[in-house]
Amino acid sequence: MSTTAHAHAHGHGDDEHNPFLAHHFDTMGQQAGAAKLGMWLFLATEILMFSGLFLAYFITRLFYPEMVLEAHEQLSKIHGGVNTIVLLTSSYTMALAVRSAQTSNTAGIKRYILMTMACGGIFMVVKYFEYSAKFEHGLLPGRYYSAHLHGLHIDGLPHIFYAVYFMMTGLHGIHVMVGLGVMAWIYVRANRGDFSATNYAAVENTGLYWHLVDLVWIFLFPLLYLVK
Amino acid sequence: MSKTYLNGKAIDGFHEVHEHVSPISLYNKIIAVLFVLTGLTYAVSFADLGAASLTVAMFVATIKAALVIGYFMHLKYDDRYHLFVFAGTLIFVSIFFGFTMFDLQARTALNDEQETFMRIRELESSGAGPKLGVDNVPERAEKIRQEIEAHGGGHGGGHDAGHGDAKAAAPTPAAGTAPAKPAEHAPGH
Repeated sequence: MSTTAHAHAHGHGDDEHNPFLAHHFDTMGQQAGAAKLGMWLFLATEILMFSGLFLAYFITRLFYPEMVLEAHEQLSKIHGGVNTIVLLTSSYTMALAVRSAQTSNTAGIKRYILMTMACGGIFMVVKYFEYSAKFEHGLLPGRYYSAHLHGLHIDGLPHIFYAVYFMMTGLHGIHVMVGLGVMAWIYVRANRGDFSATNYAAVENTGLYWHLVDLVWIFLFPLLYLVK
Repeated sequence: MSKTYLNGKAIDGFHEVHEHVSPISLYNKIIAVLFVLTGLTYAVSFADLGAASLTVAMFVATIKAALVIGYFMHLKYDDRYHLFVFAGTLIFVSIFFGFTMFDLQARTALNDEQETFMRIRELESSGAGPKLGVDNVPERAEKIRQEIEAHGGGHGGGHDAGHGDAKAAAPTPAAGTAPAKPAEHAPGH
């Protein structure tokens, strides 16, 4: 099959000699298509994983509306709001990094990837301060909950609410950190000159992953911090 | 577009990506709209909308998500099959949510209809049985009361007076250091 394909693919001399074309693909476009389909399938599993936590939130809210209302007042709208802006900005710079790759602009990829990583870093720093404040007030999940020892009494099951809060934001935070690692790898590869308009599936897929992290936060923020 | 051959015959419709390159001005517009919608959600959260607040917040969040998916993730210009994968995921999520909610909403009615847990209900209505709902269990309330007493009371003063909003962001030094070693502090309080 491979030899037949090569014999006929005269229009795409570029593909035949592209060092990034794996031998089991015929063209760079086909290779990128397979990579992207795999990424979308992975994102599907990510969405399903987070959906379990969202469901846990909705059930808690359905059963204990007053408790959720009272407990969510303890979360910092300022921290949440700043992180929302930071993460949306990072999604924007990530989209521009992918666009730079599409136009073979290596300097652009590197610049925008660094900006995206900076935003991810700010997000984690804000998260650190936010979590520290929760720890100090004993607003912790499950049996670690001790806010009643700090003069705060919330009726109902606040330790369940904080379990949901820490699981959702914690899993999301882990995704942010993984994203930072992947972007560092993209930066190194961009620096090496690996990416061009014909080979940028890695940048594109990293972008898709990062946008998913943003998407999760778009729903987390109003649900946990804002909604009454 | 190049052609791919399978067993010597040209085949169509295999997955090959020919990406649409969006202009930077489009990305600028999208991020501006996302910021405006974020501000809107934030502002609306201070208005008292009651039960509608969840609906409004989810509606705005869905618009924001659609913009990110459509333009930043290029799903609008992408292979339709990727849209199918994504929409399929949403269908499964809605089955997951929908059936769980059906179960939760219908459970009480079904229990009554099929007379499940009748004994507990009878005991409960006669005031003898265990109350349903963990927080109403007397032992738990007692445990919390004892914990507070062993701790030497909750940190008094201003700390428990106005715990509403800014407290979580700006802890007092007393609150920051005390929980580490509660036992030593107990007599002092």
